[in-house]
Amino acid sequence: MRALVLLVNRMAWFVPTLLGLLVITFTISHIIPADPIAFIAGDNATAEQIAALKAKFGVDKPVYIQLWNYVLGVAQGDFGVSLYTQRPIVDDLTARLPATLELAFVAILLSAFIGIPLGVLAAVNRNSWLDHVLRVFTVSGLAIAAFWLAILFQLLFAMELGWTPLQGRVDGWGPDVITGFFLIDSAIAGDWDIFWDCVAHMILPAITLAFPAMATVMRFTRAGVLDAINSNYVDYQQAMGVPRRVVIWRYVLRNALIGTVTQLGLIFGNLIANAVVVEAVFDWPGLGLYAVNSILQSDYNAIMGFTLVMGTVFIIANLLVDIAHGLIDPREAR
Amino acid sequence: MGQFFENTVFILRKLATDRTAAVGAFIIMALIVVAIAAPVLSTHPQDVTEFNPPERLQGPSMDHFFGTDRMGSDVYSRLLFGARITIAIAVIAIGVSVLIGVPVGLIAGYYRNWVSDALMRVSDIFLAVPQIVLAIAIAQTLGPSIENVILALSATYWPFWARLVYAETRSALNETYVEASIALGASPWRVMLLHVLPNISSSLIVRTTIGMGGTILTAAALGFLGLGPPAPSPEWGRTIAESREFLPEAWWYATAPGLAIFLVVMGFNLLGDGLRDILDPRTRRSSDG
Amino acid sequence: MRLFDYAPGLGRLAAAAVIAVGAMATPAAAGGKFVFANSSAYDTLDPHAVFDVGRVASRINLYDGLMRWQDNPPKLQPWLAEKVEISDDGLTYTFTLRDATFHDGSPVEASDVVYSIDRILELKKGAYSLFEGTIAKGSTKAPDAKTVVFTLSKPSAIFLATVPEIHVLNAELVQANYNGDDLGTEWLSKNDAGSGSFMLKRYDPAIGWQAERFADHFYGWDMVEDPLDEIEFRTVVEINSRVLGLMNGDFHGTDGYLPQDQVKRLRDSENVYVDEQESMRIFYSIIHHGRFPMNDLNFRKALSYSFDYDGFINNILSGSVARDPVPLPNNMWGAPQDVEGYALDLDKAKEYLAKVEGDIPEITLGALAGYGQTEQAAALLQNGLNKIGVKTKIVAEPWPVASGKMRDEQQMYDLLFLWKSTYYADPNNWLGEMYACEQIGARNSSWYCNEEVDKLLSEARVSTDQDLRRANYEKANKLLMEDAAGIFVYNTKWFGPFNKDVKGVRFSPIGNGQEMRWVSMD
Repeated sequence: MRALVLLVNRMAWFVPTLLGLLVITFTISHIIPADPIAFIAGDNATAEQIAALKAKFGVDKPVYIQLWNYVLGVAQGDFGVSLYTQRPIVDDLTARLPATLELAFVAILLSAFIGIPLGVLAAVNRNSWLDHVLRVFTVSGLAIAAFWLAILFQLLFAMELGWTPLQGRVDGWGPDVITGFFLIDSAIAGDWDIFWDCVAHMILPAITLAFPAMATVMRFTRAGVLDAINSNYVDYQQAMGVPRRVVIWRYVLRNALIGTVTQLGLIFGNLIANAVVVEAVFDWPGLGLYAVNSILQSDYNAIMGFTLVMGTVFIIANLLVDIAHGLIDPREAR
Repeated sequence: MGQFFENTVFILRKLATDRTAAVGAFIIMALIVVAIAAPVLSTHPQDVTEFNPPERLQGPSMDHFFGTDRMGSDVYSRLLFGARITIAIAVIAIGVSVLIGVPVGLIAGYYRNWVSDALMRVSDIFLAVPQIVLAIAIAQTLGPSIENVILALSATYWPFWARLVYAETRSALNETYVEASIALGASPWRVMLLHVLPNISSSLIVRTTIGMGGTILTAAALGFLGLGPPAPSPEWGRTIAESREFLPEAWWYATAPGLAIFLVVMGFNLLGDGLRDILDPRTRRSSDG
Repeated sequence: MRLFDYAPGLGRLAAAAVIAVGAMATPAAAGGKFVFANSSAYDTLDPHAVFDVGRVASRINLYDGLMRWQDNPPKLQPWLAEKVEISDDGLTYTFTLRDATFHDGSPVEASDVVYSIDRILELKKGAYSLFEGTIAKGSTKAPDAKTVVFTLSKPSAIFLATVPEIHVLNAELVQANYNGDDLGTEWLSKNDAGSGSFMLKRYDPAIGWQAERFADHFYGWDMVEDPLDEIEFRTVVEINSRVLGLMNGDFHGTDGYLPQDQVKRLRDSENVYVDEQESMRIFYSIIHHGRFPMNDLNFRKALSYSFDYDGFINNILSGSVARDPVPLPNNMWGAPQDVEGYALDLDKAKEYLAKVEGDIPEITLGALAGYGQTEQAAALLQNGLNKIGVKTKIVAEPWPVASGKMRDEQQMYDLLFLWKSTYYADPNNWLGEMYACEQIGARNSSWYCNEEVDKLLSEARVSTDQDLRRANYEKANKLLMEDAAGIFVYNTKWFGPFNKDVKGVRFSPIGNGQEMRWVSMD
């Protein structure tokens, strides 16, 4: 019931929050001194040519009218046209969202599959050399600049050793798009050459992104396991003669993971933030790269479209985490 | 004030016994020393503004500890001067965002009316997208410079403090002694400054320390994307961006500034962790519990 | 009437015009697939929407124009046109078309050419500015299927040089794909309606495009042994990826303006050869003449003497470019050969600086973010100016921001380092655009207007007397240099890296060696 109240409460704020986000990004993007119209008109454009384009894109109208028109459009699912590529923003975003989601998903999986066992190991062997090594690893993961790590990986694995491609998502055209997730699409098509090529391209950016996420997962798993180990419940189980190994993996981990799961919102947020720069380094054709390029090109509509989608994804992610949290720990659901 | 002094001594003594926190504190002290003494410690202090094209892209040597860059300048010397920029950005940006965010959080947390709702909604909007996205947009709008990086970071970081202080204030208001002093007719300002703020100060100190690390990373990312101070500034993020064109041959070019960022952020994180253990038992690392 | 006799070096086209043409579909043995790594993205394939060097490949490989620039130094060749006649008053150009077919098999007719120029004039994008004011919409006529008559509104010496940018569209096909009144832009952005040597096969704005050889192309394929069957232009932004891909054989070619360190790597690779050519792309700094102290000749001279040309060209660029003391590429006709440009001389700079009256404010040096060379040049100039006591600050902003400021007298930087490429091979491409008074605020971002120079330039722009044009441009170059109108640094060389199997690349500064119909592979 509390969860339901929370859900309704959050949903009520969903639209106003997005609207506020829209106003902020609109303000920011429209006071940019750049003249994107002059840019798209080209090197040799004339004043008349620019005026015609301005009229076409409606940027010759007062700013508040532009905002109003934009909001009206968004309400109808129309995010406008990219000033730069002249394609509908919706097309650009839907083409790029799967690339970012695929990368983020693989990175989260990596960080969970490596971070959770390591976190348990660290907790079980508390204060051993292993714990200390892993702790250094955790602290490093959160201190390293993602773009620098990306460059180091490229330098070592792509340039010097030649084990992985330097950047990009696939060599050439990729599989026929069904879901937009190349790993899945190539597997469906049974095209294993492309599948492995996608895997090869995925390795470096996914590890770069997973590194700080893994550190967070490990940290919370370790803390959760330690709390659980110290609980009366575990003492009871052990007293009942259940082997320690079984207690840890079957009972303790389940409880410990709750803490980790509720941190997923934070992990996801950091992951997306890092994706913006990591995609730029690896030329990964996702939303992050799209955002950086749009901002650098002052492509108003693209910036706002990106912010809206990102805000929606973020709000939904936080909502899910809040609900999970509310279900687990009723005190939080004020 | 005596109380404050005793507290400080207590914290310092505790810090000295916590190995990781001590390492963190040491790294930060070193950073500060390096930044102040950059002209003395650097081997080629003139290389920040003067160039030597014939010597460009040379590997590490006794004359150039970390090699030379694309203009023939000494990477090591520029690194030291870059520390000044890093410190300036982090300290001012965190300072400004705390100065805005804490009062907003206090007011929104203390009062329960539409103003408090509005303040929190506005900060929620900012928190609805990753900080770096809005920061990139603002920095791009204002043009690349140190001042604008600071502005972009402050403008996008204050909601974090507002949220934090809001939550802490709400829970502090439930404490018996705070309730009691309100019942005794203490003015709102008195309650906020004398009861609530001291109550949340330790968690603020911890978050500020860790926040410094995060801010340095974000600032470096802005520099890397070309939104930081322009050439020939020795800012670390932009140095890494500059070096990409010359990889893999000039590997030293990107290595030194990246390591510097890593060390400094690690320093703040370690210190933050240590302070958390000492000041904020509620979120104490479980390893000690 | 007289037959086309445009400029020496361009050849007597009418006489040379009858080039063997015939239906000679040559399904030759598999010629292979050429993959080119392109540094910028193909956002649209509409040949009338863009007019830049970075995306020239889709225009010249999928489409044909009446004339075409080829080879180096660039020669203007008849292409879809068999011959052209120019009236004595220089106002009427009559082109006679060859037999050619579009990719869908329909014939290329005069009405298609008329449609194409009118579409350019209505769309007002890309190359529109070249024709604005010279040709009125609706003034071009097609008296019969093979004849096109252009009537200029005023004489223009550069008209013929710009004709290659009138890419001929299949009018019926485009009109059938209008979306409202968009003139087919949406459809053309991802489809092809041309007659060019290659036919579009696949396109993805995020990846690039593929095309296959058009066997029925009017020029035939006899002269190329084993022509390519398929070409692919793929967007690869990162320099290192392009270089690595070339070294391991994934790519067969990439752009020829790589940093020297990368060229060195490529030269050392066993898979790659580097084709070195003099190009036409000057690097210079715009100086804002509308503002103090840049409006003072003494200050401009001080600027010109404060730049380390030698250090920049020989150290930072490893001698990969040629010093060019004037605003015209030194391999273009009209460039004076007997001038000695400025060199780094801080004593002279101080001398001139002392003559400037008034307090000198902080000078803003503009550079293009992401183009390291412009930043390095600005830093080097800052270094020199520091030493003579002029305070400066560098502002590196992305091209969209910079290009916006270049049109605004208030917002324009005091100085801005950048390149000027070849859009058409005529001195007007540089001098006439950069320094003519009527271009102020449009393409003249220097706010420079010098009566003497302007007279020379306007005369040369309309005259058909080649000797007069050459003399005028040579004189204008000298005047601009003496006036220190800008800081003129170098003219680019092109270092085209190709896979060792690649043969027959024909480089031209306009097409950057990307006209693929001449290429074959082992």
